[in-house]
Amino acid sequence: MMEGILEYLYNPLVLSILVNMAVFLIVTLSLNLETGFAGIPQFGRVLAVIAGAIGAGAIAGRMMAAMMGLPAGIEYVGDQNFVIVGELNKALESSPLLSIGALILSLAVAAVMGGIMGYLASYPAIRLKEAYLGITLLAFGDALQIVGMYYDPLAGGTAGIVVPDVFRFVGTGEIRFLSSTLIILGIAILVYLYVQRLARSPFGRALKAMRDNELAAKVYGKDIVSLRAKTLIIGGALAGMGGALWTLYTGSFKALTYNRLTWTFWPWAFMMLGGTGNNLGIVLGTLVFSTVRSLIYAYKTELTAFIPINPNWLEYLLIGVIIIAIALFRPQGILPEKPELPLSKKKIESIRASLAKGD
Amino acid sequence: MQILAGPIVQILMTAIGFSGGLALAAAGITLIYMTTGTFNFAHASMTAWGFYIVFSLYKVLLGGNPYLYFPVAFIFSGILGVITYLVVNRWLLKRGADMVTLMMSTLGVDLAFFAFINIFADYLTATYKVNTRLIVLTTEDIILGKIGTFPFKAITVISVAIVVGMALFFYLLLNRTKFGIAFRITVENPSLASILGINTETIYLFAWFMGGAMAGLGGAILSLVISGTPTVGNTVIVPEFAASIVGGLYSIYGGLVGGFLIGLSQKLIINWLGSVLGGNIVVYEPIIPLLIMAATLLLYPEGLAGIDWRRIFSRSKSSRR
Repeated sequence: MMEGILEYLYNPLVLSILVNMAVFLIVTLSLNLETGFAGIPQFGRVLAVIAGAIGAGAIAGRMMAAMMGLPAGIEYVGDQNFVIVGELNKALESSPLLSIGALILSLAVAAVMGGIMGYLASYPAIRLKEAYLGITLLAFGDALQIVGMYYDPLAGGTAGIVVPDVFRFVGTGEIRFLSSTLIILGIAILVYLYVQRLARSPFGRALKAMRDNELAAKVYGKDIVSLRAKTLIIGGALAGMGGALWTLYTGSFKALTYNRLTWTFWPWAFMMLGGTGNNLGIVLGTLVFSTVRSLIYAYKTELTAFIPINPNWLEYLLIGVIIIAIALFRPQGILPEKPELPLSKKKIESIRASLAKGD
Repeated sequence: MQILAGPIVQILMTAIGFSGGLALAAAGITLIYMTTGTFNFAHASMTAWGFYIVFSLYKVLLGGNPYLYFPVAFIFSGILGVITYLVVNRWLLKRGADMVTLMMSTLGVDLAFFAFINIFADYLTATYKVNTRLIVLTTEDIILGKIGTFPFKAITVISVAIVVGMALFFYLLLNRTKFGIAFRITVENPSLASILGINTETIYLFAWFMGGAMAGLGGAILSLVISGTPTVGNTVIVPEFAASIVGGLYSIYGGLVGGFLIGLSQKLIINWLGSVLGGNIVVYEPIIPLLIMAATLLLYPEGLAGIDWRRIFSRSKSSRR
């Protein structure tokens, strides 16, 4: 039975769906935290994602190289990148503990980088409103991508860099992709649990209060500035981890990969389809979209026989039409936001019962 | 000295042409935003369609003179705007959808229009065997004369003329006609406007047509200034947004001025930086409009139109007294 499942998972299509789903789930959950719960029009999601990817690919990699006594300066992202990363991979392969440590280090650096971007974004976020804020955030994201693309000493510029394979502890070859997918999925589940807990905490309720009526939240003594800044930092850190995991999984970093469409607008579409403000809806929306995208990608050649157009454009057309349809017919998404109870229903019932007895 | 003055004149010419295209598109974004509250992402593809209309009609299908097809680009993208309004935006406005839903719905429209551009480009390539993935029309412009050794291209004059004409058109329309008064009332207070018997839907339809058409015309101008790929809309949309935001989102003239501010500074600053710091810096050109936008917003959170010019003016007058 177990072997049957494993065999099924080795299917590259299933793997692609799973890993896409897991990485985008993390990014979309972070977006939902900022937009769904806190009401910040985060049109610059790609900013923290690319910062996290650079953190994991270029900064954590350099830190590892420095620790090993390998060149970690400009050489790391230059001609010798391949050689240095090869040396690192050898070391990572020899010791599973080192490899796990490298994974944790990469994620930590990515989270810090994403958090810093969130902190920077909070500067306009407390001063500007609606469209002004949304477009400013969008501009921030584009600016970092341009720097990543053209400033070679940062992360190799247009050519990109290869990244140390921190998943070496699970082996190489086929098993590496399967196990790393499962690990990323596990991290995504942890992020989901964390965000869900956050949403039900007093902090999460304060965010929703701020979103629904900023003035009323202020009257009740909520510090709007600090709430927004905290949300952007947490959201940025999570999105940074998402970007880092994609870089670590693919084993390379290229700034071109981290564009506005894929890492800002796709998560927005996922969120709108699933249900803005509902974490479970985000899971559903991400699952549906990443399955559709992976299927189109996988059956491109077969599709060409049936339709007169290039399937690439079919993907754009399909996602565009879905976004329009959601906006028109079901703006609250498949799973609309529900009031979150701070305690489980059972507990509330029992408290209510004991209170009734007390009377 | 003569050698140095040449490139500067040429750069300035290109910068003016570029700014004119940007200004029209940005004013289109502003027009749609101030009437319907929709920040239109589909402007990217509407601009790109204008670009491709001029290219395909002039270079592939009919030939002649590229300026002949500017009106076609104007009307075609205007129709795209009308479609966007009738199919999507109208229903959302009726429902009273929030700003983010309005914005995202236009992103969906943009993706669909973008797909159609690519399908059209594929069709042209398959049928007429032309390269539609990299378009260079900048060399095909009419040359009016020479400044030193450098050609003086018609687009510089025409782009400025179109912008001035458009500003004049809006000035006369908004201040001298009944429709203009109805338009301004609708912008100020839509529900009061409907009580007075103004059909606000006509106003919205007009705004979407003109907004789209200005994007198309902007794209047509840009086709003679920059080279393009089907993703050209994606590249120019950021300076367009920046220009519209710098202009303040509530004044069509603000959008036009913002376009010139962003366009001129983008092209001129990068050339100055290139001459000071070396040619490698030129790749960072797209960041300049973003920096100008960020700086403007941090000083004036509602853009240039948010500044109370009259107050500043009267204060300086009173201080003189």
